[in-house]
Amino acid sequence: MLRSAHSTSARKPVSLPVLALVATLVLIIGYPLLLLVAMALNVGDAQALLPTHWGLANFIRLLRHLDWIRNTLLVALAGSTFGTALALLLAWIIYRTTVPGRAILELLVTIPYPVGPLVGALAWSELASPRGGLINVLFHAFTGSHASLVNVYSVPGIVFVMAIFEAPVAFLMIGAAMRQMDPSLEECSAVMGAGRLTTALRITAPLMLPAILSAWLFLFISMMGAFAIPTILGTSSRFYVATTAIYMLFQGYPPQYPLAAALGLVLIVFAASAVWLYTRALRGRSYAVVGGRTYRPRPIDMKGLTPLLFAIVCAYIVVALVLPLGILLVASLQRNSNITLSAASWTLHNYRYVLVDFPTTRQAIVNSLLLGVGTGTLGTAFATILAWVIHRSRGAGRGILEQLTMVPQSLPRLIFAAALLWMMLALPFKLYGTLFAVLIAYTIVFLPLAYRSITGVVVQLDRSLEEAGRVLGGGWLSVMRSITVPLLSPGLLAAWVLLFMVSVREVSASIFLAGPGAQVLGPAIFNFWDSGGLPQVSALVIVQTAIIFVALVVIRSVSRKGIAL
Amino acid sequence: MKHEQSLADVRGVMPQAPGRPLIRVSGLEACYNGKPAVRGVSFVIYEGEQLSLLGPSGCGKTTTLRCIAGLETPTAGEIVIDDHIVFSARQGIDIPSERRSLSMVFQSYAIWPHMTVFENVAYPLRLRKERANQIKLRVTEVLRMVGMEAFIDQPATNLSGGQQQRVALARSYAYLPKALLLDEPLSNLDARLRVRMREELKRIQRQFRVTNLYVTHDQEEAMALSDRIIVMRDGVIEQVGKPLDIYDAPCSRFVADFIGAANILNGQVAERRPGEAVVLEIGSARLACAPRVDMPAPNAKGESLVAVRTVYPELRRGSKGTSVNCWPATIKERILLGDIVNYVVEWPGGVLRVQGFPNMLYLEGEPLWLHIPAERAILVDADEER
Repeated sequence: MLRSAHSTSARKPVSLPVLALVATLVLIIGYPLLLLVAMALNVGDAQALLPTHWGLANFIRLLRHLDWIRNTLLVALAGSTFGTALALLLAWIIYRTTVPGRAILELLVTIPYPVGPLVGALAWSELASPRGGLINVLFHAFTGSHASLVNVYSVPGIVFVMAIFEAPVAFLMIGAAMRQMDPSLEECSAVMGAGRLTTALRITAPLMLPAILSAWLFLFISMMGAFAIPTILGTSSRFYVATTAIYMLFQGYPPQYPLAAALGLVLIVFAASAVWLYTRALRGRSYAVVGGRTYRPRPIDMKGLTPLLFAIVCAYIVVALVLPLGILLVASLQRNSNITLSAASWTLHNYRYVLVDFPTTRQAIVNSLLLGVGTGTLGTAFATILAWVIHRSRGAGRGILEQLTMVPQSLPRLIFAAALLWMMLALPFKLYGTLFAVLIAYTIVFLPLAYRSITGVVVQLDRSLEEAGRVLGGGWLSVMRSITVPLLSPGLLAAWVLLFMVSVREVSASIFLAGPGAQVLGPAIFNFWDSGGLPQVSALVIVQTAIIFVALVVIRSVSRKGIAL
Repeated sequence: MKHEQSLADVRGVMPQAPGRPLIRVSGLEACYNGKPAVRGVSFVIYEGEQLSLLGPSGCGKTTTLRCIAGLETPTAGEIVIDDHIVFSARQGIDIPSERRSLSMVFQSYAIWPHMTVFENVAYPLRLRKERANQIKLRVTEVLRMVGMEAFIDQPATNLSGGQQQRVALARSYAYLPKALLLDEPLSNLDARLRVRMREELKRIQRQFRVTNLYVTHDQEEAMALSDRIIVMRDGVIEQVGKPLDIYDAPCSRFVADFIGAANILNGQVAERRPGEAVVLEIGSARLACAPRVDMPAPNAKGESLVAVRTVYPELRRGSKGTSVNCWPATIKERILLGDIVNYVVEWPGGVLRVQGFPNMLYLEGEPLWLHIPAERAILVDADEER
């Protein structure tokens, strides 16, 4: 995932577009981070935007809250390891064995990711909370016991829900690497006399290692910044991770911005070190051919084990997709918070409430759709320009530009949004509390995603196709219109829908920025949950999920790849 | 399979003093991507032999090779290696690749990118639990033979295509397999390098004296590197023989077209007596062809087909030399290619492509004599039935 652009030949002048883009990125990414650093060093007036006194006192105060950092690392380490292992198992079963129905399994396994962690956390709290959780209720009913069978309000619970909802990303990354590996590398080992286990250990594992590590790192960073799951599943038992602690510090009275900033900075340092370690560990060891051809190696017939492998994949789909959406659907049809499974007492009233009667949620739905369209358009346009300049122009500085573009990926989104908030408050005009503020935040935090999605398209478009157009007498504009854009448009549309989808389900980046005047879906669901009203929350979540499913269908129809990462 | 028997009888296709049969394939059938790719193939590879499977893409040659290697599972047939049955559909035997004691060079070379050159070549030796100093000696030796000893400690990712090819060869020879299977090993190289590697491969083959089964779509490679060639088409064997025999006496229109350059002429049989030339009426010419015992299959119009290699007809200025198969002709077109010259010649039978050399150039429009030696006019199957 951290591929460097290309070795630019030295001593070429930095071109104007590169310079302009570098400046823009430094401004919109670097400036908020600078404010974050300043805030972390602020030991004077905690409400002041610019420090009146400088010092390290905030970091010293953090020492009293080392459990926040410890919890964050614990959850992220355990979650990313479990999630990667799960993804590896799923990818191996689906891509390398003769398990039946792999096309549909491949699709279903990826869906929990776009559905999102907020939905996952809500659903699993309804399924497995120690008291009202459906699984425990059923367990009590069948056994008469009063102990709870499962408790999702716990560290294992948090790790479990994080892992199953982030695993699809790792699955896509590892699956791509599996399909890009030339099967003759393994076949050769077999012909030369190595048994299956030897080949797996000495050929396959080392070759897959970069992709596995890369997936693990992606999950680790993403889980360090996770917000929805630890809030919903952790705060009731006073289990705080960095993000939830920052949120608490923001919400407290008076808000403790400097301490929150210091904590955020520590988190960013952890994420950055992880990336640095990863790059060092893999120096000269990434054999994966980027954008290379893909193979369909002959799947291994696991004979008697095939039903078991099939069952594992199905179990994952049930746990990460069927049960969560099922319980939310059922809960959204209830008259009150007690879930009854008899359809006779079900009602559609909650949908009427969130869609029509209650202005806040109605507004949030409309705003989220607007925001999705806005982020899709702005993000695609910006990422296309970046991809074009990085991969098509000549001149120095393109490597730096690409690295800058990828920076937001290692910044926890909640922390970046906080930094952005301070930047906006410092502006002479009012930006905070408008949809536009959220739009800017989304565009920046999803820039790596958009860039990666579009790079694939730009790199695949052979330069000679355009050159042929030019040679045949087409001007720049007419070549753009008749060749470049039509060839790019499926890829661009896919990137657009992807951005639309992640914007609609986002919470972390908007929880601070979406003010009362600019309510959006993610924070609305979150606040709604905070103030109770389970059936209504469930209805709102189902509405959000329905929007995401429509987007998924569009993605599937424009690009066969499904969710491109 | 259709011609193996008759040709073997007529011309004795076995190489001089064949060794004992090392690999025996019989009645092999296999699918590729769910479609039948090999449809009943039987042949024998003798010990020490260099055998090629030659044919266009999709003819089933690679699938056959992969079945022998144990990388594909045939749907029918039997494969015996060194008197051990490694696959038998009837008996339900399927020995996995790693226990067949073979070696293989892949089209993509399959050089493991996470290992150095040394580790790549040492891999099969380490699997065989050789002692470390033995491994070191052997790896150095085989790398020297392919001219890669200077790269021994390089990471494999630093190698060019040609270098990877050499390392792949060294690796496959390192542990003295029973037979070496090569799957289009030169096809990923550029044309110039391919010719050089072909010569190199020939030298290496002579040094190691390992039985080779070589799959290629390139007739020059097959000719240059093999004792015998099996020409495949649509999943069956079209012809088996020594390179020159197949070149001189193609059994069918397909083989004549696929190997070398040939004129395919069609006409009605005018005369045919046992042991004597078969005479065809082609246009207003009467062409005497090499004698045949049994006539090959005619085309849909009932005409017989005759193949004349472009190198064999003779062009001559001045007087008519011989009375048989000699006609007045004109050069219609001359294409100078450098090392060779192609002529399109008009003769009573129509037009004929003839290959010449720059040391004896004819002019366009020049009248001369055309002579087609009767033994160079080979009657072939029309192969329209498939």
